Amino acid sequence: MSAPAVARPRTAPVNRAVPVNPRAVMVSGALLVLTLALAVLTITIGELGIAVADLPAVLAHQGSRAQEWVLYSNRLPRLLVAVGAGAAFAVPGAIFQSVTRNPLGSPDVIGLGAGSAAGAAAAALVWPGVVPVPIGALVGGVVAAAAVLLGSGRGLRAPYRMVVVGIAVGAMAMAFVQFVLARTTQQEAVQLAAWLSGSLQSRQWGDVVTIGVALAVLLPAALALTRRLQIVEMGDDAATGLGVSPGWTRGLAIMVGVALTAAAVSVAGPVAFVALTAPQIARRLTGSSGPGMVAAACMGTTVLVAADLFAQHAPWGAQYPVGVLTAGLGGVYLAYLLVGEWKKGTV
Amino acid sequence: MTATPMTKPATPPGPTSGGTHPAPTSSPLLAQGLTLAYDRLVVAEDLSVAIPRGSFTVIIGPNGCGKSTLLRALARTLKPRAGRVLLDGEPMDKMRTRAIAQRLALLPQSPIAPEAITVGDLVARGRYPHQSLLRQWSAADARIVADAMAATEVSDLRDRHVADLSGGQRQRVWLAMALAQETDLLLLDEPTTFLDIAHQFEVMDLLASQHERGRTLVAVLHDLNQAARYGSFLIAMRKGRVVAQGTPAEVVTEDLVREVFGLECRVLPDPETGTPMVVPARRNAHVRHTPDHA
Repeated sequence: MSAPAVARPRTAPVNRAVPVNPRAVMVSGALLVLTLALAVLTITIGELGIAVADLPAVLAHQGSRAQEWVLYSNRLPRLLVAVGAGAAFAVPGAIFQSVTRNPLGSPDVIGLGAGSAAGAAAAALVWPGVVPVPIGALVGGVVAAAAVLLGSGRGLRAPYRMVVVGIAVGAMAMAFVQFVLARTTQQEAVQLAAWLSGSLQSRQWGDVVTIGVALAVLLPAALALTRRLQIVEMGDDAATGLGVSPGWTRGLAIMVGVALTAAAVSVAGPVAFVALTAPQIARRLTGSSGPGMVAAACMGTTVLVAADLFAQHAPWGAQYPVGVLTAGLGGVYLAYLLVGEWKKGTV
Repeated sequence: MTATPMTKPATPPGPTSGGTHPAPTSSPLLAQGLTLAYDRLVVAEDLSVAIPRGSFTVIIGPNGCGKSTLLRALARTLKPRAGRVLLDGEPMDKMRTRAIAQRLALLPQSPIAPEAITVGDLVARGRYPHQSLLRQWSAADARIVADAMAATEVSDLRDRHVADLSGGQRQRVWLAMALAQETDLLLLDEPTTFLDIAHQFEVMDLLASQHERGRTLVAVLHDLNQAARYGSFLIAMRKGRVVAQGTPAEVVTEDLVREVFGLECRVLPDPETGTPMVVPARRNAHVRHTPDHA
């Protein structure tokens, strides 16, 4: 894949147009190492933590029963869901930000996360057993995406309208969730409330399978679309001139993005602002001139694993849902973006 | 370059002399009976043009006459409501858009430079239509990109960010990207509009040198004198119709400028090139005869 470029006099070989950007590889590698370190911390610290020295034995199924239970029934599924959901939140963020050519176009800002949450809530509690929860989340996400695209009148060409319409769509979706909440028993309602702010508590292996399958199918699709999305960022006419159909590219990318968001929401709840922030941080770190799916996925994973680790062991005692933390930090970033746009006079 | 898109190199130039071919294929780009519209606004109906092979065709006309719309239809960025565009005799709407991009490049009016992209990376994107999963970036691609950058004199800017360049430099970089596409046909929508006069001529000279190398160019231009100086074939449009077409000497006349632009003028030979030059007539007393301080 890398260029066997013939050395030319005067200039270095032009091999940076290959899809792999070396700085993105370095950043992604560093993030993976960081995530691994955070993962070891997640498993080892706290009251029930497994000592680092015992970890190889427990992984080899030679630990005590208590250790086995902590790892395989408790911490490992939770960790793996955080890893998968982080990527599954961040990649749609990169897709939507590319398609709308605006950081504010991310799925959590334009109400798709809320739509998926409403769909998941309906599938879980209103019509339990009719459709699996992830399918409910997908239907909710598709309905929300359609409402945002139609409601903004001009489709994807007006990201600010999408943000405004997305707030309305998100509010309607949350109203539906409140309605569901009011009809359910108290115990279900407590669980639902925690999940709604984005929570990784008591994740099961089934959730790991859900997010793993979704990523296995959709991540390659997102990767395959990356170069075309880069070209479409240059404008519809320029993209057509280079042989890329902007309409098809956007349509496929949106489908992939909505499906990934739905998968992430169905296992972790609508965790706020990972989709908004992770691709932006990744893009700045890699100095990339286009949406970098791999770097965004790694960043999303790192952010969510770190946030969940902090949420579990935060000094204020009680275990908070991870979404509370990301909402707090991501909200600051959203405000920063909005102030920037406001100064430019575009809002 | 591996394959040449020219399939019928020996086609006689006359449109009717073939006999066996129903469609005249001497023109690499042929529009037949186009109806062009944006939403409810119909810009042109039953519009037909033939771009001569090897020409530097310039489409001229007043604002809103449909010249950019015609160019967009020729470049397939606007789908005609009726009619069709033939590329080397093949209907474009039946072709894969990437296959078209291997034969026809477009420099749109206001392309968007992605954030943080360098000149070298942007120009390299011109190779996109020639790449695929099986055929990745190669030494040949690197050479073509280097040649395109040399031809537009942006080689020294390779590692600069496009956002930091001046308007003239940026337009040369976009032109380099289109040249790197290595197509016989190059379409340009008002390539000089946002440039000052020195950079306008710089870009026009670059285009002229590409024309001399055998590329077929189609450009929309506002400046009649530039059109007459650089174009080899002019298409004059008004209200969505072709009013006149031919060589600059045939098209740029006092009568035609009056009819198409509503401007009284004199047409004199350009003292530099001998091509027709439009000098607008004096219209009122506010224009001075001679400078006061002379």
